[in-house]
Amino acid sequence: MLSLDHVSVTFNAGTPNEVRALDDISLLVEDGEFITVIGSNGAGKSTLFNVISGAVEPQNGRIELDREDITYWPEHRRSHDIGRVFQDPRLGTCPGLTIRENLSLAAIHGRSAGLRRDVKKAEEAWFFEQLERQHLGLEHRLDADVALLSGGQRQAITLVMATLTKPKLLLLDEHTAALDPNAAEQVISLTQELAQANDLCVVMITHSMQQACDLGDRVIMMNRGKIVFEIAGEERRSLKPADLIDRFHSLQDGTELSDAQLLA
Amino acid sequence: MTATPSAANQPRASALGANRSFILRGIVLTIVVAGFMSLGNVNIGAIGQGLGYALAGVTVFMTFRVLGFVDLTVDGAFPIGGAACAILIVNGHSPEYAMLMGFVAGALTGLATALIDIIFKIEGLLASIIVITAAYTVTLHVMAGKSNIPLLGEETLISRYSKDFRTWLVEQFGDQMRRQSTNLLEIILFGLIVLFVLGILYWFLRTEFGLAIRATGKNPQMVRATGLNHNLMIIVGLMVANGLAGVAGSLVVQQFGFADVSLGFGLIVRGLAAVIIGEVLLRPRTVGQLLIAAVTGMLVFDISRAWIFSALDLPTTDIQFVSALVVLAALGAPRLYDRWKSYRQRFGG
Repeated sequence: MLSLDHVSVTFNAGTPNEVRALDDISLLVEDGEFITVIGSNGAGKSTLFNVISGAVEPQNGRIELDREDITYWPEHRRSHDIGRVFQDPRLGTCPGLTIRENLSLAAIHGRSAGLRRDVKKAEEAWFFEQLERQHLGLEHRLDADVALLSGGQRQAITLVMATLTKPKLLLLDEHTAALDPNAAEQVISLTQELAQANDLCVVMITHSMQQACDLGDRVIMMNRGKIVFEIAGEERRSLKPADLIDRFHSLQDGTELSDAQLLA
Repeated sequence: MTATPSAANQPRASALGANRSFILRGIVLTIVVAGFMSLGNVNIGAIGQGLGYALAGVTVFMTFRVLGFVDLTVDGAFPIGGAACAILIVNGHSPEYAMLMGFVAGALTGLATALIDIIFKIEGLLASIIVITAAYTVTLHVMAGKSNIPLLGEETLISRYSKDFRTWLVEQFGDQMRRQSTNLLEIILFGLIVLFVLGILYWFLRTEFGLAIRATGKNPQMVRATGLNHNLMIIVGLMVANGLAGVAGSLVVQQFGFADVSLGFGLIVRGLAAVIIGEVLLRPRTVGQLLIAAVTGMLVFDISRAWIFSALDLPTTDIQFVSALVVLAALGAPRLYDRWKSYRQRFGG
């Protein structure tokens, strides 16, 4: 369970460039819940992720994961419990290392790296099984350099790496935005499969209204560092992309939101 | 290169194939270099000298290639390691212990650079220049205020065996070997030490910790996302790398028969050249191959420099200029070749 309690982040405080990236955000994500986050560029979605993952420290508020206060934990420490997949497929995997080495690195997750052998025979069957489920044929290419794979393949491997050691929370930052439609579809179905199989808490940023309606149990819309609306329950189940865009327009709070920005 | 799906499905076979072509390149290179040495009348002393400096090439490989950290600390770590080794030998310690302390001294300079980078967020290039500057004074203090410590008459790794080795060599192969006995002994001793150190480093880079260090240079963001402390990786990586420079300094000090405060001058350029020469000539892929390539690069550097010296009959005062020329050739040739290729593509022919 993830909880954010009145969290605020301000960049360049006290200068003319002051940006209130997160403005008194409170959010509760239950175990096993899948949330999608939408909003225009600069709405604070990525800052929300950075503050949860520890890349950015909040000025105010408190962040808890499974009732443990992680607000000031360093990034690498909370990574034990948080799996992340980024928009750029190059960020999640390590080029120059093989698929096997990347997975081995992910398998260290949650303990400290020691002087055991980096690639272990005992893990081979485990890796093979994890990759086999994706039906991408990567399980036969364990010794291939990750740099040789396509964006979709790298993103699929990143997903497996992020969930390999069953984290408490999975953060997906527009992880299909850089992929072609086919690869995006594959990665999305893999995401659903992994989330269900591991009963994960998932928060996913997306620019696709379709994805926001198809995936997860709850939609959150952010604007100017605030959560402006949430759609859950019965309303969420019957939600269509057109409804979301209408809701978006009805905001009418004088911001420069446009369809073009929203759907970019 | 033809990458068929069936080939991709046989990783073991392709890994073996990569090894085979690497070994093949190594054999061809050895023959070519040996030919050059006998035709150009190059003294085998160049090999011993290359082996002495080889671990400094591995330092540059570790920092620039593995950690992706622009680190010049080797210029300071090398003389400090040599100074520590020399002063301990003069004070009656065994050469092995002295070399171990040479490693420690080098590792501490690496630690200094890492801490400056991490605490003050000063990038590696600048951090290492600060450390080199400070290390100069520290080296002088280590050498008890003197800028030069002779090892004449002291028991070094080489002097310990040189008499017995010479006697044995003359007995076996006749009197004409007498002149080369020290050179041969250096090649054997330094070769064994370099192999031993490479073995340990290879093992280390293939542990979980080593894997994390290798990943840090390629994608620090991912290392953090994996829950590993990437600052720790930089600290340990720089300490190990510059420790090796300290060992190289210890070897060279024993080879030259003295320690000098200015011993590390221009070493970073030389190390870079070694790494690039090794990569261009051997095209290494795996960790083991990359380590061997860095050492090979240093050997080729020293041999080609010695060859230029004997071919042009230059005085030793010109040594740094020739070094710079060899480095320029090593760095520039691959780029010139690429430009020539694209020129040829555009205009046919």
